[in-house]
Amino acid sequence: MLQIASLSVGVSLAATLVAAVFALGGALWIVYGRSRLRYVLLVIFNAGLGLPPVAVGLAVAFTFWRSGPLGMLDILYTPAAMMLAQTIIVTPLFGSLAVIALRAVDPTLRDQLAALGVPARTRLRLLARETAPGILASALAGFGRAVAEVGAAQMTGGNIEGQTRVLTTATMLAVGRGEFSVAFGYVAVLLGIMTIATGAAFVLQRRWQ
Amino acid sequence: MAVTAARLAVRRGTFWLEVDELFADASGTALVGPNGAGKTTVLLALQGLLPHAGSVARPGRCAGVFAQPAFLRGSPRWNLATVLRSTLGMDERTADRGAAAALRLVGLEEATHGDARKLSSGERQRLALARALVLEPEALFLDEPFANVDAHGRCMLREVVNDYVARSGCTLVLATQTLADVAALCDHVVLLDRGRVVESLGAARLAESAQPYLRALVSEGGPGLMPGRTRPNLRLMPGEGLEP
Repeated sequence: MLQIASLSVGVSLAATLVAAVFALGGALWIVYGRSRLRYVLLVIFNAGLGLPPVAVGLAVAFTFWRSGPLGMLDILYTPAAMMLAQTIIVTPLFGSLAVIALRAVDPTLRDQLAALGVPARTRLRLLARETAPGILASALAGFGRAVAEVGAAQMTGGNIEGQTRVLTTATMLAVGRGEFSVAFGYVAVLLGIMTIATGAAFVLQRRWQ
Repeated sequence: MAVTAARLAVRRGTFWLEVDELFADASGTALVGPNGAGKTTVLLALQGLLPHAGSVARPGRCAGVFAQPAFLRGSPRWNLATVLRSTLGMDERTADRGAAAALRLVGLEEATHGDARKLSSGERQRLALARALVLEPEALFLDEPFANVDAHGRCMLREVVNDYVARSGCTLVLATQTLADVAALCDHVVLLDRGRVVESLGAARLAESAQPYLRALVSEGGPGLMPGRTRPNLRLMPGEGLEP
């Protein structure tokens, strides 16, 4: 159980961290950039909110299949493939919510700080502090989606015991075998992880308020 | 040091601003004009916050107050102290003392805690003025800074600004719709309309202008407020200075 739970958290956390790079970079470009192309990215982010994990799982599995375009990398049925699929699933949600968080900050604040002679680097730091609670909530939503999805994890990980079995795929397997008490145990651990993550985010947000 | 602009041109969407010449010093320059005339655009361009053509000269240490001030998440006192630390490099204790003194100066001594963003609009304007004055700037750009402040507060804040300008020789540029602001703070008036300077004159000669907007401004303010007749008393109560 501990191994399955730690793999679940590890893969989803890694996926959320990698997604953060793309989601935050994209969100910053959408909110503060000048190119009209940024709206294309916004549409992609918003469309990605409803992205079915099985579709992502299928695409990743096809790409890394032994005879697929990137089959030579031989990462299918490894945590790396699961992380990649989860990153693709998480990025649009994280990015979309990050855009909302960035836009929630008064758009004139940056200019007002400049009008008071606050140096550019300090302005950035202060604006990052303003958006931190919203960004944290976005990250939490992304992590929640990653850790709870099952379709992509099953297709790209294969639910191999001791290697790629995570809480969601283990739950599916337990239900398939009719072992409901085991399945309830997995789900309880899953809910516990989300509760701890939400609690930690709440404490951090309270500290920042 | 004065603030000057020459052949200033700014484009904001479909709006064009073109100002051939503008001069402001400690005697105070008021930008007046109807809504959409370009007062805020001039102020932003003078502060270097908008891309523009032409030349602008201003002192090294400037501070601006926006018509709708925005604040960082935190208490009013923390907001002021943060600006002092960030802009002037003050240590935490000195910045905190300066912030407390500035809050007293604008009548916000009770509002040291809570979120600055949740203050009333008038209180936010008081705080924005304190945030600018606490930096002891050489040039002060005020965009309708008293619009939402109560009557007593407006008188008090005008006096605070007047005292600071008189004491420091700070250049003052003020965008306003109120004759009382002009009368209390400015010796020069620049009338803007649709992005152009329509008239530039001494505040004492406002009543002589044939411009309909200026006539309306004077008529609404009443003759008792005419600049030069009722310049308010600049004296502050002892201990109300900016120094902590």
